Amino acid sequence: MTAGFTALYRRRLSVSLSQPAALAAQILTPVLWVLVVGPALSRAFGGFAHGVNYTSYVSLGQIVFVLPFSAMFAGLTTMFDRDWGIMRELLVAPIRRAVIPLASTAVVLTVAAGQFAIIVGLALARGEHFATTPGRLLTAVLAAALLSAGVYGLAEFLVFTITKPQAFGTLITALGATPYVLCGAIYPIAVLPAGIRWLTWVLPWTHTVSLLRYGLMGDTASGLHQIWPDDLPWTGAALLSLAVVAAFAALTQTAAHRAFTRSTLR
Amino acid sequence: MMQVAARPLVVDGLIKTYPGGVRAVRGISFEVADGEIFGLLGPNGAGKTTTLGVLTTLVRPSGGRALVAGHDVIREPLAVRRAMGVVFQDSVLDNDFSGLANMRLHARLWRVPEDRIAALLDAVGLAGRARDSVRTYSGGMKRRLEIARALLGRPRILLLDEPTLGLDPIVRSELWEMIRALQAAQSVTVLVSTHYLEEAQGVCDRVAIIDRGQIIALDTPSHLVGDLGEHMLDLGVGADPEPVLAVLRDAPPGLGEPMRTVSMVSVPSSLPAPELTDLAGQLALTAAGVTTISIRPATLNDVFLHLTSAARARAEVPA
Repeated sequence: MTAGFTALYRRRLSVSLSQPAALAAQILTPVLWVLVVGPALSRAFGGFAHGVNYTSYVSLGQIVFVLPFSAMFAGLTTMFDRDWGIMRELLVAPIRRAVIPLASTAVVLTVAAGQFAIIVGLALARGEHFATTPGRLLTAVLAAALLSAGVYGLAEFLVFTITKPQAFGTLITALGATPYVLCGAIYPIAVLPAGIRWLTWVLPWTHTVSLLRYGLMGDTASGLHQIWPDDLPWTGAALLSLAVVAAFAALTQTAAHRAFTRSTLR
Repeated sequence: MMQVAARPLVVDGLIKTYPGGVRAVRGISFEVADGEIFGLLGPNGAGKTTTLGVLTTLVRPSGGRALVAGHDVIREPLAVRRAMGVVFQDSVLDNDFSGLANMRLHARLWRVPEDRIAALLDAVGLAGRARDSVRTYSGGMKRRLEIARALLGRPRILLLDEPTLGLDPIVRSELWEMIRALQAAQSVTVLVSTHYLEEAQGVCDRVAIIDRGQIIALDTPSHLVGDLGEHMLDLGVGADPEPVLAVLRDAPPGLGEPMRTVSMVSVPSSLPAPELTDLAGQLALTAAGVTTISIRPATLNDVFLHLTSAARARAEVPA
């Protein structure tokens, strides 16, 4: 089990790292936001909430853009392996087949960890200050990891459900960009029309970005009370949001596993 | 029920019906002995790839059973996969990586030492290109790499699904020679599926001919050809072959059942070539519209055409 996982993990990581242009392109957007757009907007509008630094706010918002987009793109590698690559060799290997998507998810999480570190590192290098504790940092990291795993589960479910690569390519943009725009990554969801706000509450992206700010910027900046009732303690709201993101990850990973099994054993 | 010994491969009453009701395999049975090269022959869509899919645990059978090295494909899929090396019909390689990297991945997945990689790459003539990206390999080189990779785990059984498909005739011929040589050197049992029946004739110890999901013949190539007749009398005919068929019906003993293709009537015969030539000379073939006459050794292709045309003729007879 472990040997198979390690071999698959190393192979898939090599595939991911063998495309430096794709990695660089995914990093370029947050770099622009963290270093250029965020500070520019902050200067233009003079901040948008008392005691909340917009540059820090928008820096963490970039995490819910980069990580899900990257996870969706990872689905393309799986699709390529299935249609033109090595998937059948892996399927006839003397390993449990469930290890194959597990190793791919582990690589997605590894890449996500690197992207998380780059975004937060860039923000720190630019002079931002994050207020955190080990528990809160763990909450933020866990939220980001669960969102990545959840979106990759969704990508893999789609890969093994949709047969046409073109259709999957369209969904990468739709699923990568739309939730990011709606989830409060660059502005608080409170400013959205009431009819749309309820939609943001069901998006795991919204909960994740709130948890990232809860973990690294504090209670007020988190926006958790724009999702949950005001009388709920911050910790309670954070745990509920974490449960939402965990449920999303569990649901999509289970669906992906089923679609993978159905597609690979006829 | 068939006797189930610890043979490399035992297929017993295998059935596969896909969702939607397509009956790809309809109760086939065969066994493969240690060290044998066994050919699963038939046209596209005959059920060869589905049968190999069951043996490689990629297709779940609807009925019957299949044992690989004594392990049941449903109950012990990991043991089955450990016992075999597989070369698929189309290329299944990590194209962005080198041949060496592909071999190493296989070694890690099969948990076997990497010390045989160099020798196997050398055996298939790829030692000098081991570090090159697979993307730069020709079709024949990719296929050779896949064969070397399949042998890396010292499998008891090597499964080759249409190994020469898409390759030019010279490369195909070289590949068959290589398969034969590697089989002897590695002491491995080989199950090969192909629709190039004449190629299989020179390589396989025994063959099963499959048509529409059923085995219609199973024997050594020489026995199958011998049963049909050692020679074929090929008669080129015009649009209407009926006068030629009428002449053949009244011919003296020594000719088998005529088989019709688009512009040819082929007749199997167990007569030696000189006698068959004399016999052909005695028939009023030219008067019946025959444009060309030739005599040649019979092949597995003829066996297949003979068996399938007979089966189809039986199927077309009203009950």
